Amino acid sequence: MRRFNFYIVFIIFLGLISCEEVVDIPLEEAQPRLVIDASIEWIKGTDGKQQTIRITKTTPFYDEELNAVPNAEVKVYAESGEEFTFNYDQAGMYINTNFIPELNKTYSLEVIVDGEIYTATETFQPVVEIDYIEQLNNGGFSGEDIEIKAFYTDPAATEDYYLFEFINEDVTLEFYEDEFTNGNQIFGYYSTEDIESGDAIEIQIQGISKSYYEFLFILRSQVGTNQGGPFETMPATVKGNIVNRTNQENYPFGYFRLSEVDSMNYIVE
Amino acid sequence: MNKKLTIRYLALFLLILLFQTQTYGQELFTLNGTISDASSNETLIGVNVIFPEANTGVVTNTYGYYSIKLPEGEYKVQISYLGYQPIQQTINLSEDRKINFELQEASENLEEVLITSDIEGLNIRKPEMSVNKLSISTIQSLPVVFGEVDVVKSLLLLPGVSNAGEGSSGFNVRGGAVDQNLILLDEATIFNSSHLFGLFSVFNPDAIKDLKLYKGGIPAEYGGRVSSVLDIYQRDGNSKEFKMQGGIGAISSRLLAEGPIVKDKGSFLIGGRSSYAHLFLKLTDNENSAYFYDLNTKLSYKLDDSNKLLLSGYFGRDVFNISQNFENTYGNAVLNLRWNHVFSDDIFTNLSAIYSDYYYGLNLNFVGFNWDSGIKNLNLKYDFNHYINDDFQLKYGIQNTYYEFNPGEIEPIDETSGINYYKLINKYAFENAVYISAEHRLSDKFSAEYGLRLSNFFRLGQDEINSYANNQPVAYDPERGIYSEGEILDSYSVSRNKSIKAYNNFEPRAAVSYMINDSQSLKASYNRMAQYLHLISNTSSPTPLDVWAPSGQYIKPQILDQFAIGYFRNMSDREYSLEVEGFYKQIDNRIDYIDGANLIANDAIERVVLNGESRAYGMEVLLRKNEGRLTGWLSYTLSKSEQRTPGRSAIEPGINNSDWYNSNYDKTHDLSITSSYELNDKWQFNANFIFQTGLATTFPNAQYEYQGITVPVYGERNGDRLPEYHRLDLSATLTPKKNKNRDFQSSWNFGIYNVYNRQNAYSISFRENSDTNQNEAVRLSLFGIIPSITYNFKF
Repeated sequence: MRRFNFYIVFIIFLGLISCEEVVDIPLEEAQPRLVIDASIEWIKGTDGKQQTIRITKTTPFYDEELNAVPNAEVKVYAESGEEFTFNYDQAGMYINTNFIPELNKTYSLEVIVDGEIYTATETFQPVVEIDYIEQLNNGGFSGEDIEIKAFYTDPAATEDYYLFEFINEDVTLEFYEDEFTNGNQIFGYYSTEDIESGDAIEIQIQGISKSYYEFLFILRSQVGTNQGGPFETMPATVKGNIVNRTNQENYPFGYFRLSEVDSMNYIVE
Repeated sequence: MNKKLTIRYLALFLLILLFQTQTYGQELFTLNGTISDASSNETLIGVNVIFPEANTGVVTNTYGYYSIKLPEGEYKVQISYLGYQPIQQTINLSEDRKINFELQEASENLEEVLITSDIEGLNIRKPEMSVNKLSISTIQSLPVVFGEVDVVKSLLLLPGVSNAGEGSSGFNVRGGAVDQNLILLDEATIFNSSHLFGLFSVFNPDAIKDLKLYKGGIPAEYGGRVSSVLDIYQRDGNSKEFKMQGGIGAISSRLLAEGPIVKDKGSFLIGGRSSYAHLFLKLTDNENSAYFYDLNTKLSYKLDDSNKLLLSGYFGRDVFNISQNFENTYGNAVLNLRWNHVFSDDIFTNLSAIYSDYYYGLNLNFVGFNWDSGIKNLNLKYDFNHYINDDFQLKYGIQNTYYEFNPGEIEPIDETSGINYYKLINKYAFENAVYISAEHRLSDKFSAEYGLRLSNFFRLGQDEINSYANNQPVAYDPERGIYSEGEILDSYSVSRNKSIKAYNNFEPRAAVSYMINDSQSLKASYNRMAQYLHLISNTSSPTPLDVWAPSGQYIKPQILDQFAIGYFRNMSDREYSLEVEGFYKQIDNRIDYIDGANLIANDAIERVVLNGESRAYGMEVLLRKNEGRLTGWLSYTLSKSEQRTPGRSAIEPGINNSDWYNSNYDKTHDLSITSSYELNDKWQFNANFIFQTGLATTFPNAQYEYQGITVPVYGERNGDRLPEYHRLDLSATLTPKKNKNRDFQSSWNFGIYNVYNRQNAYSISFRENSDTNQNEAVRLSLFGIIPSITYNFKF
């Protein structure tokens, strides 16, 4: 189901009387935990040979430095048995330049850090193309913002999940399932106060698995858009599909997924 | 409870009854009747009818009826009620007699006003405990935010009652959840008690006669919710003369009319209330609006001394409209027909037929669909009050409720919409109960109230009942350590006439009181209760969108056991009273939600919930000053409210690693001081001070970056606290002198909420600053200092 923040209304209402202030709250610091951001993306029309996996550790909440992990062994295995080794570059990035993407094929990830072995398995998810893009200048929730709709046609025969990335100054993620839109032409929706005429926006549609959709669902509920207060959702641990085979308790954050991507550049009129 | 134990309970119960019927000795005569207000014929609830020589008495029931059996003789009778002039009369009882009393409102000139103008003195003899009453006049004089008099917000000033912060909906009683309160308006269940997401409650104070909150020791006549009962009675309307009253406030205005249909026999009452902030928005060319309105109506007709008909209705709606793109409407509708009948002088009965409906609708033009959901129920109940003798009264009755749940229907707004029509499967249930309850004076020192309720719930057939792999609607992935929706093996339909799951529960209730002396008593109570409906809500406080789900094959009814003990004392000839209570309660089958549970438009809620338990314990102190120019109370609660959801097997982590965690509304300390000072006939001043431990919340203890997004990592659930909450409110009521000798009465209420402008945290959220990319904590505070003015009138 497409989800919307129904309580935006409430927040708008409270906006009239409420007051926001940055405050100093001391926080506890948890033991660092491994984070594996393994998103293999293959943009339609490219060879998809260069892929990056990022490995870091969690940091105290107010810290600004990245805690990169430079000493990991990172490999991805294709269904055929082919092996792709990712080599360390910088800032936690591991790169492979000979990757061979194949849709609907299964791949597995193996990461070894400090003697502990982490693995995950996922299928390469295909995606339909973006049909066209529509812009409305008096749209959005307030009726005053620019809104962008990227239309696509959902295949009726399959149960599909989509991730949209709207890359302007910041990255906005939207994700959808087709339970209520199966077989229809429908759109990815992007509207914020910050969109201005002349902005160059990269719009990506990505095919994702059901399990990754569920992961994003929990992830989003934990991220900044959460206003807190009575309508806050409960905090959750965002566990991905990567399992620590050596010590299961010491699970990593992040996800291993492979998505086909259709990308379009759009200049806001 | 096992069967054997149940049978033993029943046997004991019957034995007591039998013993009781044997105590009949000399011939008794019945004195009965109704007690009402002399100026309006409005029946009065809870009036004390005392026979000092016989050392006995009776209290009027919720329809103003009393009945007592006494041996032949001449008796002095004293009738007293808060805010009214007491009556003393001598009655010769040599045959069964019916005497209706009319009480005169205490006139403003009399010194007694000061004595009776506040909360009633404490009844230390009755076993009834853990009960709070507030008179409408007290509620109306309390300082409140925006000057809007509010029933629920006033209750929060009493011990054991709290909420999940300013602007949250509903209220929490003794560490129970919002959906565990049974809220009755003229005996009809109200499913959502809040307007504007919780800023106001749905009850128009002008239309209310009386209210009572049971926090524990709940009598057997109530059931279906485990935490508390808030019983609210609407006024019948004046059957003597036509009257109007109303008020103009900052947010809303009220108007109420009442009068006779047939003088002294039939009356009507109609009261409306509406907010109008949206009208100002319209003036400023703002297309957004947020408003609410409600309508209370009542017709009552007295056929004869033994028969009375009452028809009451309530209709309320909240409407939000954001630039034609988004429209949201929700509210309750209730219709209730009742027939009071006195069978013989000692049996009073009430038959009710109640229809109640909660609707939630959403219209999202910019996405292209409408959403409708709701819950309807039809309730038939028949209640008997049986006055056996002056030491023994029985209440018994039967209740049946039929529920229809519409979890949601999605409709595309037009053909171009990309949304397909979808109807979530309707669910049906039937809830029944029989109960018997005795109020029994065992000796001069001991009184008891005990009863038994047998409740029964049928989840009825529906379309698309799922069967799951391993019969588990929630699956667990031991490798990843996460829960997910279970795999559906098969889906089938069962006729609505058939039950797919039945539950039966015995709910024993008991309370005893022991009089230490004339001014002190000890009381203790126990009650077990079952709740078959669950509000599906995964936010800190419920939202209007949340749907109710019935128990069934997988979701079990919540079962509560509560114990309470208390010490009660009247001091300085009832000028002061003190109540100290301790309570412990345990609730089984409290559901919680797996991480990532999608509750919106979910056809099979059982796939995202796990059964857990909750418990709460604490101590409450209420010290009141009931007399003099200065009246008021100090209320303090020390308590703990927790929840736990263990895994279903040893390998599963459950929720929060199976550990106990604080509930969202847990507050260790909750103190409020409420006072009222009557300076003279013109001016009355009120002040509230509130101090509470900050609400439980969860702060992050780490962060990481994923796909360009900063993700916080949270620690133990509800293991942190918001800063302490405190504020001071003041108000003054001006009743102009010129009121005295005329029909038109008016008053002004001036209030200041949060006088020292404390920025209380509504929430602390954590985010990445979009300019500096630095993580920061942000405190959102809702109500700073808010002045208000309200004008009230009556004629």
